[in-house]
Amino acid sequence: MKRIGLFLGCNIPLRRPDIEYSMRYVLNELGVEIVELDGATCCPAFGTMPSIDLVGWCAGSAWNMAIAEEKGVDMITGCGSCYGSLNEARYHMEKHPEIKEKVNEILGKVGKKYKGVVKIWNFYNYIYEEIGIEEVKKKVKYPLNDIICGTHVGCHNLWPSKAYSTNDDNVFKPTRIKEICEAVGGKAPWYSTILDCCGMGALGSLAKEKSWALWRRKVNKMIEEINPELFVTGCSSCLLRYDNDQALMKKEGLIDFEIPAVHIAQLLALVMGAEPEKAVGLAEVPIDGIITKIKGGK
Amino acid sequence: MEFGRETNVIKLDEEFFKEFETELQEAGMSINDLRSCIQCGKCAGTCPMALAGLEFFIKKIVHAATLGLKEIFLDDSSVWGCQSCNRCVEICPMEIKPYELIQAIRRVSFREYAMPSNTIDGLQNYYKLGHAVVVKGYENRRKKVGLPELPPTTLGNKEMRKKFQEMLKNTVLAEVAPFPLD
Repeated sequence: MKRIGLFLGCNIPLRRPDIEYSMRYVLNELGVEIVELDGATCCPAFGTMPSIDLVGWCAGSAWNMAIAEEKGVDMITGCGSCYGSLNEARYHMEKHPEIKEKVNEILGKVGKKYKGVVKIWNFYNYIYEEIGIEEVKKKVKYPLNDIICGTHVGCHNLWPSKAYSTNDDNVFKPTRIKEICEAVGGKAPWYSTILDCCGMGALGSLAKEKSWALWRRKVNKMIEEINPELFVTGCSSCLLRYDNDQALMKKEGLIDFEIPAVHIAQLLALVMGAEPEKAVGLAEVPIDGIITKIKGGK
Repeated sequence: MEFGRETNVIKLDEEFFKEFETELQEAGMSINDLRSCIQCGKCAGTCPMALAGLEFFIKKIVHAATLGLKEIFLDDSSVWGCQSCNRCVEICPMEIKPYELIQAIRRVSFREYAMPSNTIDGLQNYYKLGHAVVVKGYENRRKKVGLPELPPTTLGNKEMRKKFQEMLKNTVLAEVAPFPLD
C-alpha cells in the first residue's frame, strides 16, 4: 500500500477545508494511506520568512520536511505556494550544503534534523505519475458528461522547473491537468491566456484592483474562446481567486458571468462519488447546476 | 543652466555600487549573476507585475539594482507585489535568477522597516500559531465539511507549537522581528 504525508498548509485547512476533505477522499478511494504530519506549519509563505532571511526560510521549510522524514514518507500538497516554497527551500539546501548545515544547527536545538531525502509532490502530479490515469478512470462513478473545463494550472506548480523533481514535459504547454479532466469525461480545450497568472497572492494583497483586473483579462479571453462551464485549478490559492474572489467581483458588479470553480482534488472527489456538501461545501459561486449535470448524466 | 549650481546626477563609481551590492549579496543574490543581465526584456514579457501595471516590474527592478539605486526600493513597494511565480527565472537567457533578486531586495528593505503591514501580520501569525494565513471561522468551516475543528498542524498541537517557536527563536527572527517573541 502506498503511503503519503498530507501537508495541509494554511488556506486548505483553514479557509477551504472542502479541498482537504476532497484530497482525503480521493487518496482514500485510490488506496493510498494518508499519514498525518503532526505539528506541521505554514510552508512558510513567500511573503513571510522567505522575504526576511534565506536560512530562516529554509529552517521553516525543513521543520515540515523533517516531520515527514521522521515518518518515512514523502509529502503531498494541494497548494501551489506550499509546493513552491518547500521545493525551493529543498533546492537551496541541496545546492548549498552550508545553508543546510546552518539549518540543522537551528533544528538541532529542538532535537530535529533535516536529512534532505523527502520528495514533495503536488496533488495532480502525484495522481498523474504515482497513481496513473487508468487507475483514476476505474474509480469514476459520475463522469463529467463532456462538461467544458477551463483549466488553470497555477504558476508555482510549473516554475522554477529546476526545483521540481517532476513536472509537465513542456512547462510552457502543460497538459497533465487537461489529461486528468478528459480522463474523467470532461473537455479541456486550450485557450490563449491559459498560462497567465490569476493574480492571487502578493499582488492581490498589494494592489487588489490591479490583480482583479489581471484575472478578468485572462478569464474574459477564456470565455470568449472556449466558454467554460466550470473552472478547474491545480492550486488552492488560484481556487480562492476563481471562486471566492469571483463571487465578490459579481457582487460589486465588476463581472456579468457566474462560472463555478473547483480545485482538481474536488473535481476528482465529485466524480468518484463524494457528497457535494463536503467536497465543494464551501463554494461561493453557485455550483448546483454542475452537480446536477454530473450526477444526472449517463 | 546656471553656473555653480549642482545638478542631480547618478555617481557611477565603484563606491556607489558597493554598499547595496554587498547588502544584496548577504541577502542571497549573486552579484556576478546580476551583472550579466543584458536587459533583453524577456522577463518583463512574462511578469504578472508588468501585465498588472505596477511601476517597477522585474526588468526595471534588475536595472535599478545593478545601478545601486536602493532608495527606489525603499520608496516604491512594487517588489512586495511580486507573485514569486518564477516565470522570470524559467525564461532568463542569462540565468541571473531575477526572482532571487526580488527576495534579496525584500530582505534588505525589511531591515530598514520598509515593508507592507501584511508582511508583519503574516510573520506574527506564523510565529504565534505556525500559520501565516489564518482567516477567522475556520472551526465552523471545518465542521461543516465533516473534519475535526482543529487540523493536526501546530494549531491543534500545542506541544509542537512551543517547540516550533523555540526553533524560530534561533533564526534571524530573534533579531529583526517587529514584535516580541515571548
